[in-house]
Amino acid sequence: MTATTVETRRFAAAAPALRLLLARFPLLVFALLFVYMALGSEFFLEWRNISSILRQSAPDAILAAGLAVVVTAGGDDIVSGGIDISLPAAATLGVGILSDQLVNGRPFVLAMLLAAAAVVAVGLLNAVLVVKVGLTPLLATLASWVAVIGTTKWVINNRRITVDHQFISNVRDGTVLNVPIPAVFALAVLIVFSFWIHRTRFGHRLQASGGNRSAAEISGLNPDYFLARSFVMASLAAVVATLVLTARSSGLSPGIEERLLLDMVLATFVGAAFSFRRVVTVPGAMLGAVLVKALGSGFQLLNVDIFKVGMVKGVLILIVVASAALEAGQRR
Amino acid sequence: MTSTPPSSADTPTAVTTRSGWGRRLVDSLSRYGFVIVFFAFVVFFAVRADAFLNPSNLVNILEGNAVLLIAALAMTLVVASGGIDLSIGIAIDFGGWFAIIAMRDYNLTWASALLVGLLAGAAVGTLNAALVVRLKISPFLATLGTFFIGSSVQQIYTSGGGQVPFREMSESFRSLSTGAVLGIPTEIVLAGTVGLLYFVLLERSVHGKRIHAIGLQRSVASVSGIRVSGYLVFVFIFASATVALSGIILTAGLRQFTPLSGFSYLLDSIAAVFIGASMHPQRRPNVAGTLVGVLFLGVVSNGLNLMGLDFNLRDALEGIILVGALALAFTNRNNRAAEVSI
Amino acid sequence: MKATSLLEGAGSALEMETVSKTFPGVRALDRANLSVSRGEVHGLVGENGAGKSTIIKILAGVYRADAGKVNVDGAPLEKIDPASVHRLGVRFIHQEISLVPHFSVAESVFLGQEQTGKFGTAKRLMRQRAEAFLTETLGVELDGRALVRDLSVAERKLVQIARALIDGQAKLVVFDEPTAVLAAAEVQTLFAAIDALRQAGKSMLYVSHYLNEIHQICDRVTVFRNGTDVGVMNLRQSQEPQVGVPEIIRLMVGRDIDDLYPQRQHTKRKQKALEVTDLDDGQRLRGVSLTVGAGEVVGLTGIIGSGRAELVDSLYGLRKIRSGQILVNEEPAKANSPARAVRSGLALVPRDRRNDGLVLDMTVADNVNLATLEEVSTLGWLNRAAASRRGDESMERLDVRPRGSQAVSRLLSGGNQQKVVLGRWLASQARVYVLDDPTVGVDVGARSEIYRLIADLAQAGAGVLMCSNDPAELLGMCDRILVIVRGRIIADIVAAETDLEQLTALATGGAEAT
Ligand SMILES: Nc1ncnc2c1ncn2[C@@H]1O[C@H](COP(=O)(O)OP(=O)(O)OP(=O)(O)O)[C@@H](O)[C@H]1O
Ligand SMILES: [Mg+2]
Repeated sequence: MTATTVETRRFAAAAPALRLLLARFPLLVFALLFVYMALGSEFFLEWRNISSILRQSAPDAILAAGLAVVVTAGGDDIVSGGIDISLPAAATLGVGILSDQLVNGRPFVLAMLLAAAAVVAVGLLNAVLVVKVGLTPLLATLASWVAVIGTTKWVINNRRITVDHQFISNVRDGTVLNVPIPAVFALAVLIVFSFWIHRTRFGHRLQASGGNRSAAEISGLNPDYFLARSFVMASLAAVVATLVLTARSSGLSPGIEERLLLDMVLATFVGAAFSFRRVVTVPGAMLGAVLVKALGSGFQLLNVDIFKVGMVKGVLILIVVASAALEAGQRR
Repeated sequence: MTSTPPSSADTPTAVTTRSGWGRRLVDSLSRYGFVIVFFAFVVFFAVRADAFLNPSNLVNILEGNAVLLIAALAMTLVVASGGIDLSIGIAIDFGGWFAIIAMRDYNLTWASALLVGLLAGAAVGTLNAALVVRLKISPFLATLGTFFIGSSVQQIYTSGGGQVPFREMSESFRSLSTGAVLGIPTEIVLAGTVGLLYFVLLERSVHGKRIHAIGLQRSVASVSGIRVSGYLVFVFIFASATVALSGIILTAGLRQFTPLSGFSYLLDSIAAVFIGASMHPQRRPNVAGTLVGVLFLGVVSNGLNLMGLDFNLRDALEGIILVGALALAFTNRNNRAAEVSI
Repeated sequence: MKATSLLEGAGSALEMETVSKTFPGVRALDRANLSVSRGEVHGLVGENGAGKSTIIKILAGVYRADAGKVNVDGAPLEKIDPASVHRLGVRFIHQEISLVPHFSVAESVFLGQEQTGKFGTAKRLMRQRAEAFLTETLGVELDGRALVRDLSVAERKLVQIARALIDGQAKLVVFDEPTAVLAAAEVQTLFAAIDALRQAGKSMLYVSHYLNEIHQICDRVTVFRNGTDVGVMNLRQSQEPQVGVPEIIRLMVGRDIDDLYPQRQHTKRKQKALEVTDLDDGQRLRGVSLTVGAGEVVGLTGIIGSGRAELVDSLYGLRKIRSGQILVNEEPAKANSPARAVRSGLALVPRDRRNDGLVLDMTVADNVNLATLEEVSTLGWLNRAAASRRGDESMERLDVRPRGSQAVSRLLSGGNQQKVVLGRWLASQARVYVLDDPTVGVDVGARSEIYRLIADLAQAGAGVLMCSNDPAELLGMCDRILVIVRGRIIADIVAAETDLEQLTALATGGAEAT
């Protein structure tokens, strides 16, 4: 009997150090940029600035974590895979209800429960549309986006609501051990979701469902179950985001959802460049949100024309993503 | 030598393409379920809003959605090739913007201005194509990047989004939006022509076959000798040039360019494409389906308008109707899971 | 011919009775019976589309049978779903490899049977166990952290096998054409593993188109034809007359196949169809040179990791080369993209059918015409009648069943899909055909037909480079055979002057070239 020997390649390739460097290149690009910004403005690395970045990016990061779960469970093909673009709309609906109820003197717990119920209902609606009706996630969540935005406008009458509530201001301005409270919420989401998706049996199977539907099926798993769960889990993230968002803008300012959508989607998919396997992950998505925000803040500190920030940001992000893609191609 | 293989006559398992009549009825119901729901809405609006069935209102619906149809057709092409284009708003903006600049600042004729607009759109597509084909970025992120860059460029040159008016626009250019050909509004004629072009390209030509193959399984297309990169470059550029035409029509109608206004067509065109794809037996994006999708969105919005509802309520209803119609039309058709084989 | 006597003293590990299954328009199974005794290796053979994979998927709970009874270990199964069958100790190695591309080897092996520790999934433990199992039982050194998308098809197959067997709870193991993508040496390792399972008292169901294999390892064999069982033969008892491969073939296809390989007279031509000099990719290929004359069939063999796959990919522009030259029809060919390769006159039948072979969601006609769309069009306008006619012709010629060129390719059986891939290129006017495992999963009847078509191609003056894991096939078809080991061609032998043993020895590096 001859035992075949296959060279143990890939990881034991010629220059492991170089490989590691290549694999981490996207992060390196960001690191270099931040060094550049720190050199240009001392304030950039001050804790006051960093905590402000964390505070600002918390809602995006939390929503991105939710989206990452759906993408993981449904696959990263935009056209047929898992995606939930209704998350920002759901969160906005939550913000609207929470603000409205608080302004009308409802106790916080009750108001939050109401808002949470509405947000989770959107998650359930998505799950039903995708799993029971059989729509592709993009179409299903696009439809619920339109419906939820419309409903929010209607319920809230399309007006700005300013909330003056002790708890909300605490969330906005408070810190725990010097860490802003919104960032603490984000951290909690990071820990819970990462563990859920990347360390448990359930998460492993959820990843498999998105990675190859038929592989999951013949392994005795039901991909639809995981996809449905992922929409509900994502809506739980949106519940947390509701609170943080309400704090960030002290109530509801209409029309925030489009901006949120773009930032969330960008963060999630840019985050894939940070993972070794170049797939969407929870930590990657959240890191993406923070880094993209930090980039914007840095450029402002460097006094880059506000209109040009978008351009520079876009170009840099393309560089990061391209480097990841090219590195993946090199491995073939 | 071996004998020839047995003829198929001795195989009792030979296929019969014709199955039961009942099955076919169920099949076509599920396939045309959305069309049925669509007509149900037409009837509903006809009853509830007297003006709805007026010929002039019907023409209105078509005219009002010509721009969306053109954008959605372009999106159909990109989605068929396996990608998506989030930057169509930018190509719409650039088309109109550059056409106006060409006429206002360089005194070009309307035809040259049209060409300049289309080229501006093509330039946006070229950037997308370079990012996707050369740098191997996924279409989703590549076009998102283009979107950020394109938005920024518009803000820089319009001082943050100020409008670019051009009141002295020539009548010929205006007529791209307001004119008529043989009594049919130009917008409808243009959208119809583009639709026909896309139908032939995507559903009847060898190029369409290849584009679909690339979209379905790229590696197979490549191994079969199809020039995948070439086709992707074509798809992105052609799509962007196409949507630039809608941008040009928009500016011709308004006699001005409003920066960042193209974005509002993005989600609607994606919705139309995917509604259309849902109606296809293999869930493929297709021209006829996209047309139905656009008309549905247009009819619902027009009908609700005519019913004279509150502005905010109307938006809510539009969304709820979309969700409901999709659920109604597609529940109970043979589900995704049943189709997956291993 | 029905030999119903069971092995002595053993009950049934599996009993499937009068199982029927109809897909829209196709009767895949028609009251089929299948029975596996405890402790035996039971073969299942039949032509492409006979229903072998379908009955296996019914047992696995992937498809639901329209009618019929299933007993596992003597107990009737009421509701069959993957989880309950798994619990009963039935394990499957399905024909198609379905794995998650971005999962590591360890994660793939433990999918659905994850091990957990204090802090969630026990990644390190799973990795160690997976690596140990792959080395000890399947004889392959794989890094447990390597990603599936970076593995070769054969390595993926081994991962799939490991997944089925690693928990040691298997009572009945079902192999659906496991050796199709493996080379001779790996096949022997697999057989050793199967033997060990047999020693441990497990039962096995083994599907293959390699009837020699069936004859070598199976105790009994059931023959399927057109969705039903037409006989069970005992291969172990020395009864008269002895059951051999020809008897199995006769029952399988309903006729004799006297000569699997066509008689070829190779008329030597001066012209070279393909000439490769000093091909180097800086990694796996170290100066490969070879020629294929016009009208010649040249074989290429080599184990996994030998560079065989890389050589084929380089020829076809799927892999970057660093130095070297490729001449097609004595003209330099730039091999930097498959499209270029095709235009210079190359045609490739890829080994990874599932990923590179077919657009599974397109119709058979579309797939057949994909490389030659110009020929069924005028000025870019697709002539749909002509396209579908060509699809039908090709299906007729290769005996793809069921007929109907408007069927979606995904729904064809594995072997029939392979025929469609072949059909695509046989219709083209290429000068050089690179056939990478062209008869994988194809039944004997169709195989002889494919061999005849390959011989015809050569007769018409094309050069054929035939890469294969099956030494018998190379010996039967080729004029010359090249052996590649560690990125170098170490032997170039005239086929008539060598034999099976020498070829295997050469490929595994056990002998020097003569
Ligand atoms: N999901 C499906 N839908 C429709 N037809 C199917 C489906 N699966 C299999 N078939 C058809 O059922 C028949 C039996 O297929 P099966 O895969 O069982 O064949 P097989 O004996 O395994 O052949 P091979 O040796 O080629 O693998 C074929 O005609 C095939 O086309
Ligand atoms: Mg099979």
